[in-house]
Amino acid sequence: MLEVIDIKKSFGAARAVDGVSFRVSPGSIFGLIGPNGAGKSTIIRMIMNILAPDSGSILFDGVPLVDGHKTKIGYLPEERGLYRKDTVDEILRYLAELKGMSRSAARASIALWLARFDLADRGKAKISELSKGMAQKVQFIASVVHDPALVLFDEPFSGLDPMSQEILLAAMVELKNAGKTVIFSTHIMEHAEKICSEIFMVHRGREVASGKLSELKTKYGRNSVQLEFDGDGAFLRDLPCVESVIPYPRWTEVALNQGSSAQELLAAASARLSLRRFELMEPSLHKIFISLAGGSAEEAIQ
Amino acid sequence: MSRLRAIVRHEFRTAAANKTFVVMTILGPFLILAVTLLPGLLSANPAALGGNKPVLILESEPFAAQTAAALESTARPVRLVADSDEAKKEVLGGKAAGFLAGRVLYTKTGTDAVLYGTLGSIVAAMEREEKIVRSGLDPVLLRTLLETPELEVVRLQQGGGERKSGSDEFLSIMFTVLGFVMLLYMTILLYGQMIGRSVVLEKTSKTVEIMLSSVTPRELMYGKILGIGLAGIVQYAIWIGVSLALVKFAGPSLGLSLPREVSSSNLGWLFLFFILAFFLYASGYAAIAAASEDEHHLGQLAWPLIAFLIVPVVLISPLVMNPQSPLSVGLSIFPMTSPIVMLIRIMVSPPPAWQIALCIALLAATAWGMATAAARIFRTGILMTGKRANFKEISRWLRIR
Repeated sequence: MLEVIDIKKSFGAARAVDGVSFRVSPGSIFGLIGPNGAGKSTIIRMIMNILAPDSGSILFDGVPLVDGHKTKIGYLPEERGLYRKDTVDEILRYLAELKGMSRSAARASIALWLARFDLADRGKAKISELSKGMAQKVQFIASVVHDPALVLFDEPFSGLDPMSQEILLAAMVELKNAGKTVIFSTHIMEHAEKICSEIFMVHRGREVASGKLSELKTKYGRNSVQLEFDGDGAFLRDLPCVESVIPYPRWTEVALNQGSSAQELLAAASARLSLRRFELMEPSLHKIFISLAGGSAEEAIQ
Repeated sequence: MSRLRAIVRHEFRTAAANKTFVVMTILGPFLILAVTLLPGLLSANPAALGGNKPVLILESEPFAAQTAAALESTARPVRLVADSDEAKKEVLGGKAAGFLAGRVLYTKTGTDAVLYGTLGSIVAAMEREEKIVRSGLDPVLLRTLLETPELEVVRLQQGGGERKSGSDEFLSIMFTVLGFVMLLYMTILLYGQMIGRSVVLEKTSKTVEIMLSSVTPRELMYGKILGIGLAGIVQYAIWIGVSLALVKFAGPSLGLSLPREVSSSNLGWLFLFFILAFFLYASGYAAIAAASEDEHHLGQLAWPLIAFLIVPVVLISPLVMNPQSPLSVGLSIFPMTSPIVMLIRIMVSPPPAWQIALCIALLAATAWGMATAAARIFRTGILMTGKRANFKEISRWLRIR
């Protein structure tokens, strides 16, 4: 579907993308994840041919990507907005026409998507009259209205309320089920974890890890335990069976050393703390990312 | 190509389906007539400005009757009065333009310079006549001696024709040229800023990246220039058509007639230079807008462009008086000033054909070059937000392949 081969991009002295390669297989939801400023948007802009890479190449269906491919690709950029004076119908028809759609096909597709997002009665409304959530749904429609084979969503949920986020997540899964390929860029790893089948982790313009989500978890994941307790848990960090501790507001996540058993931790913890919950966990993407990218990534991702 | 057409259509609609545009389209012809015709009309016949109020003359003064007759011949109503207090009250009440008692003129405003000039020369002539009579010299002989010969001005025309000309003609040319120049100047500025705003809006509304996922920066840029340019041309055609129709049909009853210089060929030149100048300045504005952060910043960066537009407007009277001077010729070839200056030259006295051809060729080439540069700046500048680019950086963007 899409293949990115060793692309590099610098802005002045700053190296935004430093030799990134990956392959997106058809029909997958490909998660491009990393903290803000990791280079995700630059990678996506190069795929969209908005920025030219300094070196490296991008192949679409095996041939170098050109402007002509844009009709087969949909794009929801992170920096997004629509002409405020246009109506919803006008702007969607305009953008569909720019993607080479015929008028009748565009009209049918627009009606379908507006109904899908409960916006059927807003077609005549001006963009400036829409709430932020509605405008974002219209932008989402603009990226998929021409039935593209590949869709790129760059931080699609920024500024959206949780309910709208769920609606868009469901729509993305729907696209995948319809055989489309989705590239989903986000710094919120929980979102990626929910829907992505493949993951590419990027930090400071370089790959941190990549592969199928399940493979990543078995390869990099340590057994970890979620604890909820009363008392001072500072000593946990110094236990011989513990590799790292991440204190979240409501619970604490403890990663175990390779070969250590959770029983060791349970014994030590219950001796000094009053435990309310002790649960063996599959490692989260977030944690895998931090353990691979190092401490600086932990700050970047907060 | 179909994408470009779609962009042009969208930009045209955005520019034309807009209150300001509609209002300007309707008001335009009246503004044009006001600028081109009224000044000439008024200076020739100040009374046309309404309220042609009478001048009162104290009848007990000597020459009162002759002064009244002389003043009446300039189409000023005159009334002889007996009571000077009453007359002053009338003047103060705004019922009369002035009250003349011997050599003293009483007025309320003190600004009716045309009246003062006319009265001054009449009074002076009366007194001179009186002195001649008293001196005992032969008035007829003296008049022949004092007579000033009037200079006759004849305009030579290409192809051997001759035409009598005079100060009236100078005024008529001057006002028509001024009208055309102001029209060109205002519309270029208006549409240029419209393009600039439209490009800046692309950034501030953050629509640009969505657009760039379908079209190239060059298509977007050319589409904007063509779309808004088309709106401008439609508006221009309406203005000129309605103005001509107004003068043709409503003109006779208002006593308006078109100056000889508002000919169809001159209107054709106006249209041609409008289009060329439009593309030049539109591309310039688009390039500057692509490099600027918001409308405020655009205003700051645009001053060099506006300065080029202002130069010919400021120099209009030397240009009209000396259309063949090196300054005029130079400015009519240099592309940034040539649309306005060449139009002036063509209207005053047709320049050699090669100069017109050179001017048009240079203009077209510069407009094309400017549009290409604009597309390059656009491509790089459009994604730069939150950082103000200086001219050095912009010139670097131009060199990016």
